[in-house]
Amino acid sequence: MQTQRVALQPAHVLHQRDYRDSSRIVELFCPDHGRLSVVARGVRGARKSAAGRAALLQAFRPLLVSFSGRAEMKTLTAVEAGGPVVTLRGDRLYSALYLNELLVRLLHRHDPHPELYALYIDSLQQLADTEVLDLVLRSFEYQLLEALGYGFDLASDGMIGEPLREDGWYNFHAEHGLVEQRFAQSGVPAFSGADLLALQRQEFSPAVRDTAKRLMREALSGHLGERPLHSRSLFQNALRRSGATPS
Amino acid sequence: MQFSPSIEQLIEALRCLPGVGPKSAQRMALHLLERDREGAINLSQALADAMERVQRCSRCRNFTELDVCEICSDPRRDNTTVCVVETPGDVLAVESSGSYRGLYFVLMGHLSPIDGIGPEEIGLDQFQQRLDQESLTEVILATNPTVEGEATAYYLTEMLHSAGVSVTRIAHGVPLGGELEYVDGTTLAHAFSGRRAVE
Repeated sequence: MQTQRVALQPAHVLHQRDYRDSSRIVELFCPDHGRLSVVARGVRGARKSAAGRAALLQAFRPLLVSFSGRAEMKTLTAVEAGGPVVTLRGDRLYSALYLNELLVRLLHRHDPHPELYALYIDSLQQLADTEVLDLVLRSFEYQLLEALGYGFDLASDGMIGEPLREDGWYNFHAEHGLVEQRFAQSGVPAFSGADLLALQRQEFSPAVRDTAKRLMREALSGHLGERPLHSRSLFQNALRRSGATPS
Repeated sequence: MQFSPSIEQLIEALRCLPGVGPKSAQRMALHLLERDREGAINLSQALADAMERVQRCSRCRNFTELDVCEICSDPRRDNTTVCVVETPGDVLAVESSGSYRGLYFVLMGHLSPIDGIGPEEIGLDQFQQRLDQESLTEVILATNPTVEGEATAYYLTEMLHSAGVSVTRIAHGVPLGGELEYVDGTTLAHAFSGRRAVE
């Protein structure tokens, strides 16, 4: 395999972990290279050069990165700021961490997704600006599944292709999407047709938002496997403490 | 060449040290066998002792041989102030600055959902108990200024607000002896937003 050299590619840090004494393994998300791992050497420790690069290599910060290497794991050769920082605090930060966890869990390595990268940047900005964090997350989840090839239609029954009915009840099937429930089953979550149609019309009442949350959770669960998403637990604890009832 | 099983085992065991690969482990093992048998015996004794005796302080989670560590049981320290740090190394760093006389709470990490590290893994349930039992007036959050450190600080802030304890965060800014020109933008922005009136 030839040595690949990439210069000044836009990127965001999704995750990083310490490696050896002074290095880090950084999980990056780039538009043209998808998710990839690079080794960033000499970014920890007391040296001045380390501090500058470590300050840049933080999640939610637009970067321009250069990397090279033959193997699966590339070496980070340069990094510079690629735009203004989006400031995220509190619940907004938890939400953004949730986006990162979804991307790390669901994206395959070296699978380019320029549209998803644009969506990610847009969603981060929205998380910083908006008050309705859950809608940003739902929209990201829906479009993420679509980009990965697991999208489903919110407007029609995936089995028979007919439009959803206001008075119908629907189940989510991994293969077909929304399918009308012919007879009541216990233990299988059902979604009301009225809520789903309202969701499609972008009328977000509390009940509709709850339906959207349950639906996306159901749709994602098949792809996430057994391991739980840990960023969800941050929200649940935060809600419990603030006295609100978790939905 | 094949080493004898005990040497192989020693080399393999040395590799658990951070930054030690097969080659360095081999060099260390051979050095101890060839030149420093006494040092090696001391090392093995010290390792065994430390592993047996050192545990977590029941109050601050720092490493100690006692049930409650020396800092926590020192009557001269201010026991109404607690500084929350990520690692035992951070405690040493704050101690050596000589500017803090309160107590500590050591998280032994930070919240990191992707690594599966949630509030319980960093002992926040234990910290909650401590909040319930002790009458603290101030908690200083000294987690690292990284994304995970900030998430941890925010989580703690919520906990402490609902417990009615005043919370402060250590200042971020320009290092002493540094030059503004070379300080990165985010740090500089922090330094500006956290500026103070000159008295």
